[in-house]
Amino acid sequence: MGDILQKYLEGKIDFEGQKLVEQISRNALIAATVVSFVAGFASQSLRVLFGVFALFVIVLCAAVIPPWPAYRRHPVKWLPAKNPKDQ
Amino acid sequence: MGSTCLMVLLGAIALSSFLFTADPKGTIGVSSIQVFPGNARRYANKNQDFTFVNFNLTADLAPLFNWNTKQLFLYVSAEYENKQGVRNEVVIWDRIVRRKEDAQLNIAGRNKYVFRDLSASFKDAPPAHYSLKYNVMPYVGVLTYGEAARTTDAVPFPERQDLS
Repeated sequence: MGDILQKYLEGKIDFEGQKLVEQISRNALIAATVVSFVAGFASQSLRVLFGVFALFVIVLCAAVIPPWPAYRRHPVKWLPAKNPKDQ
Repeated sequence: MGSTCLMVLLGAIALSSFLFTADPKGTIGVSSIQVFPGNARRYANKNQDFTFVNFNLTADLAPLFNWNTKQLFLYVSAEYENKQGVRNEVVIWDRIVRRKEDAQLNIAGRNKYVFRDLSASFKDAPPAHYSLKYNVMPYVGVLTYGEAARTTDAVPFPERQDLS
């Protein structure tokens, strides 16, 4: 049971995945800032502005926090273990 | 990163207030003004003059409400120079307007706060101007000041009446 839980909850992603996540979150947050300001200004409502921003953040969290398979596509290739007896 | 974006948003909201340059004007007139001697509660044996002002106020301040306006603080102040030549500004009435719907003012009011002079007398005080001023209080950003109405002619202080 513990093993299964750990398998699903452990969020190990590879280095390429980390890079990707960082890019996605940066671009999405910048987009969220611009879009939410435009939407809020157009509707003359701070409620709309922060609502749109919050929506972006929630979607971004869903896209970025779980270790989706897309972030695990480049696993680190380790060198083969050296046998201490060979040295 | 997220907090930076929020800070940028807040800054943009604060700056956007400067795009709204509404400067509504109304009218204020003094309908009656009287001066009576009285006793300041704080100093039991000091008698001083109290001025009672009734005024009429009309103004439509709805244009001051934009997306970043939390509320308006309105106040009526009396401006005059006293005997010593010191410029006085005395707030005699105020009101907080929280909603745009309440920003149409058509008020026959009187001074809400005690109007007295530091020298205890309004004798020889030059005529005073009465003005309606406002603060626009934003959700985010700087407080801005403005004047919405001003008496066209200065209103002289009348002679002190004695209480019979």
